[in-house]
Amino acid sequence: MPVSAYVRNFYKKKGEKRAMLRCTVKFCGGCNPRYDRGEAYNTVRSSLSGAASFAYPEDGAHYDVLLIIRGCTGCPYLYEEIDAAHRVIITAADEIPAAIHEIEQIASQT
Amino acid sequence: MMTKDQYIESLRKLKLNLYMFGEKVENPVDNPIIRPSLNSFAATYELAEDPQYEDLMTATSHISGKKINRFTHMHQSTDDLIKKVKMQRLLGQKTAACFQRCVGMDAMNAVFSSTYEIDEACGTKYHENFVKFLTRVQDEDLAVDGAMTDVKGDRSLAPSKQADPDLFLHVVERTADGVYVTGAKAHQTGFVNSHEVLVMPTISMREGDEDYAISFAVPTDSEGITLIYGRQSCDTRKTEEYNDIDVGNKVYGGHEVLVIFDHVFVPNDRIFLNGEVKFAGMIVERFAGYHRQSYGGCKVGVGDVLIGATALAGEMAGSAKASHVKDKLIEMTHLNETLYCCGIACSSQGTKTKAGNYLIDLLLANVCKQNVTRFPYEIARLAQDLAGGLMVTQPSEADYRNPALKPYIEKYLKGVASVPTEDRMRVLRLIENMTMGTAAVGYLPESMHGAGSPQAQRIMIARQSNLEMKKELAKKIARIQ
Repeated sequence: MPVSAYVRNFYKKKGEKRAMLRCTVKFCGGCNPRYDRGEAYNTVRSSLSGAASFAYPEDGAHYDVLLIIRGCTGCPYLYEEIDAAHRVIITAADEIPAAIHEIEQIASQT
Repeated sequence: MMTKDQYIESLRKLKLNLYMFGEKVENPVDNPIIRPSLNSFAATYELAEDPQYEDLMTATSHISGKKINRFTHMHQSTDDLIKKVKMQRLLGQKTAACFQRCVGMDAMNAVFSSTYEIDEACGTKYHENFVKFLTRVQDEDLAVDGAMTDVKGDRSLAPSKQADPDLFLHVVERTADGVYVTGAKAHQTGFVNSHEVLVMPTISMREGDEDYAISFAVPTDSEGITLIYGRQSCDTRKTEEYNDIDVGNKVYGGHEVLVIFDHVFVPNDRIFLNGEVKFAGMIVERFAGYHRQSYGGCKVGVGDVLIGATALAGEMAGSAKASHVKDKLIEMTHLNETLYCCGIACSSQGTKTKAGNYLIDLLLANVCKQNVTRFPYEIARLAQDLAGGLMVTQPSEADYRNPALKPYIEKYLKGVASVPTEDRMRVLRLIENMTMGTAAVGYLPESMHGAGSPQAQRIMIARQSNLEMKKELAKKIARIQ
């Protein structure tokens, strides 16, 4: 099932006004991904467009959230070198709604 | 790091002395036979630019602390060794061909650790020379060909005993500034797409072979280097008027060349071994080990594409639900993932060398490559089994484009009604390409002979099998004194 379909099925966008979270993203290397990681990123980013801004990590920067998009469950990396208050991990397409929800929760508490 | 476009432009500046089909090739970059191999090599630059792949494709230089392409990296941990294999699988998946850059990475890692230990034993300055070369390679993101295999002449004779002394590359003249070398290196993968060549001895050597115990790096367009392009099965399909469907893989490919060194000058600071015969074997063993690990990644990625193509062929023919089809796809996957297991295993059991970079477990790396000499052949056999005879009997693309013939081909080569006939033809040609066309060079005979033929691995396995310990285990269980 396409990534967007999971989101349509499981995610209900709330749309409340809240502070923009500063988020960054790291992909696993993608040697054998079980889903389209790029599409997953685009889905998360567009779903949270009113709540969070996303950029690729820069040296020395601090982020509210590091979104880690792994292609499978075998990737162990947490990218400790990236300074982020929260780490949200996706390892499968059906985890995308939960990841969006988790980032929303962080946003609502920030 | 270089971008893909910068890399391609950098190749245009090389003045290679390259021949193909009896003629000099003035513009290799845009040559239709060569270009697919360049595209594969360029993928190693392209994917390094993509955030989705940078975690595998890049690393941090232990020299400069800068972000570098992993193909120029000295492995700093077992994690690096594992990421190398994953990167190779990824590139195999993206190109369905040999992307050629591994051989330089493996050569550099082997020479890096070996020169350190040669210097320690002999008081030489080879490691300093090599680090200087490596620093430039990393800073400028250069493509390096690793050249090991000599043409070898009479296999029963040592290099210095050959009837023709040039059958193993050797030093022919020594000056205060460096040495001149003559000889040839065969099967050089990716040489035409490389900026530098890192030459290594091809076998262990003994006293008397001093002139042959030579390792160095020079630019690929150095004066005295001549290249003769190796032809591949079905290669001229790329030059036909209709060259899309029939080539199977339009974009990507691989290549090998015969490289002739005719009195090529090597400056002193580019020499990494020069007469220390007892260390020739160390370089050979380490390079072979790294390269045997590599095959547990790259061929697996290519196998992923072949398995996918075979599954598609089954779906397009309406046979996907047949139990034997499903079982054969499972078998192909099992074989492919077994190779991957070996690549990951020899990486995870790697150890730190005296120079600081990590070396794979050599026994497991040789087991990995021994399996690679067999399993791709079985995977290819199963792919041909499931693809059916149409893979090799279907009409040409020129026939398909002929308005008088196209309706017949559309009608009679149709499988499942909803699948366009052209799609079916494309998938079958891809399987043909990978199992008997241009890409088969990389997937089959290269799996057999690349990084050493099967017997070379068996010698290494025998040497490291620890048989005495195994006998003691048996004695203890059997209660033999």
